[in-house]
Parts: sequence; structure tokens; C-alpha cells
Amino acid sequence: MAQTLRTAGYSTIGLTIPTGLLPERVKSMRKTFENHGVATALRIDLGSASRTELLRSLRRFRNAYDVVGVKCVNARVATVASRDRRVDVVFFDPVMQNVRFNHSLARLLHGAFEVNLIGSLLTLTDIGILFRLRRAIAVAQEHKVKVVLSSGARNAEMVRAPLQLSAIASTLGLSETASVAGVSSIPLSIIAENVKKRKPECVEEGVKIIVPSRR
Amino acid sequence: MPRRYLLVKVLYGLALTDQQFHEALTTSVRTHFGDIGFSRIDPRIIRFDQSTSTSIVSCERSAVRELESALALITDYGGTSVAVIVLAVSGTIKGLRKRKAR
Repeated sequence: MAQTLRTAGYSTIGLTIPTGLLPERVKSMRKTFENHGVATALRIDLGSASRTELLRSLRRFRNAYDVVGVKCVNARVATVASRDRRVDVVFFDPVMQNVRFNHSLARLLHGAFEVNLIGSLLTLTDIGILFRLRRAIAVAQEHKVKVVLSSGARNAEMVRAPLQLSAIASTLGLSETASVAGVSSIPLSIIAENVKKRKPECVEEGVKIIVPSRR
Repeated sequence: MPRRYLLVKVLYGLALTDQQFHEALTTSVRTHFGDIGFSRIDPRIIRFDQSTSTSIVSCERSAVRELESALALITDYGGTSVAVIVLAVSGTIKGLRKRKAR
């Protein structure tokens, strides 16, 4: 998969790992990708079913990962995740019809809205998914929400080039500039921001310990 | 009309022949964009190298994004999974050859 990602033109990927995975295993996985010239950012996807569970998970995992994504399984979780500054990306399961990205969530959203294109379009052949994706993209465009495009690839066969992801988003109604930024500058800025925040000298947003230089 | 040329690589499954790749491409464009979309995109396979599974595909300049997405949405051929990755896009075949050599 690492070789395919390199061929497709990726320089950095978000590596979603389960919470209980041994650090040595994570290290070896990252090394495999880095050996092929693909940098990795550790990512966790929280699929909490309630507000309290989500807040507990965020307290526990925020500092351990470069990117925190929340899968919005119900409206309550979607509201909390959109409002919380610790959440980098929110995403929705296109199969679930009870919760979707709407105007009120777009107004609340602090992070970015993630669209899982390949995972949605390749594995499912429901025309309704296309409608829901188009509608969500239109809402995001209207509220000038940052849109992150991801492949959601679980194996090498689901990998597509970043330009192809942006092309699919363009055909679904996202502007050309936003679709290119969705696979390049926006995800990279999220990673860079979080790497900066995770440094020991960073106390909180805007507060940093400055050690006086020794002369 | 000006055209764009795409260098694509077919990954996995069976090594496709140029006819099979043509069929997969045509089906994907027709499925996702319809017959009118097909005539607007006007995809043509210029070269298909079976040994390296790379191909040069051309389309109308204004429809390059549609072709890129149609190629991304090719998932299988005859029950075997296939992934098509766009490696480069250029305005000339010469430009693509240079990139391929790189």
C-alpha cells in the first residue's frame, strides 16, 4: 500500500490506528510508510455514541494523536463535535440518513468537514449517497467551511491519486480551488498546527513557554 | 478542439489488454456521466503498454476533471478489482513522455 501511495503522488497521509495498538507496532507501521517516502500523521476516529463519551475520549486521546476525527453518529454528537475546538475533522457515514451535515452544523463548525469519497462511492452503489454528498458539499460551500477530501482507503486497491479525489469533488459541486485545497493545503495545515500544539513548550492555544537563551 | 493527455497506471488484478481497458473506461464514463457526457468528454486511448500497465488517454480540455473522476471510479473488470491512478496530465504527448521517463 505504501508503494501505491507513493506512485499515486502522496507525500503525507493520515494513518488511522485503533486506540489499543502497541506503540512498537505503530512505530513499525510508520517506518514502513516512511521507507517509501510517505510521511505519516497519526489519526484517531472517534465514533462515540453520546456527548459524555465523546468528551471523555477527547480528553483522553487529544494529545496522543496528530489528527482527531469524529464520526457523527447522531445529532447530539454532531453538535458537540462541531463546536469543540479539539476536533479537527467531522465526518458522516453517508449510509446513515438520520444525521447529515446541515446548515446549523456548518455554522457551528470549528474544524473541517471531511468527505470520504472513495470509501463512499466505491463500496456502495446507492444513488442516494451521491445526493447526500452533493447536498453536504453545497452546504459546506455556502458557509465557507473547510472541506477535507479523503479516500478512506483501507487497502491498496482503494487508493486513488489526490488529483482524482479533487476531480470527483469538483464534479460533485465543490469549487476547483476548494477541491485542490482539500487534498493539499487544508490537511497539511491541520497537521502542522497540531504538531505545533503537541510540542512540550505549548501550554494552550496562544500560550507558549519561552526559555530565555543562555549567553 | 484542444485536448489534454493523461498518463494513467492500471493496478492490480489481471493485466488488462487495451480492449479491456477501453471497455472499462467507456463503461465508467457512460455510467457516471451518461451518453451526452461521454460525447463531451470524448475519451480516447492513445497508447496502452500492457507490459507496464500504463496508458495515455486523451480527452477534451474542458472535461479533464470528469475523465479523472471517471478513471478513479473504475473499480473492477470482469469480477477482478482494478484501480486506475492518474500519474500526470499534460497538454502534449511529448510532455507526458518526459514525465514518464522521469
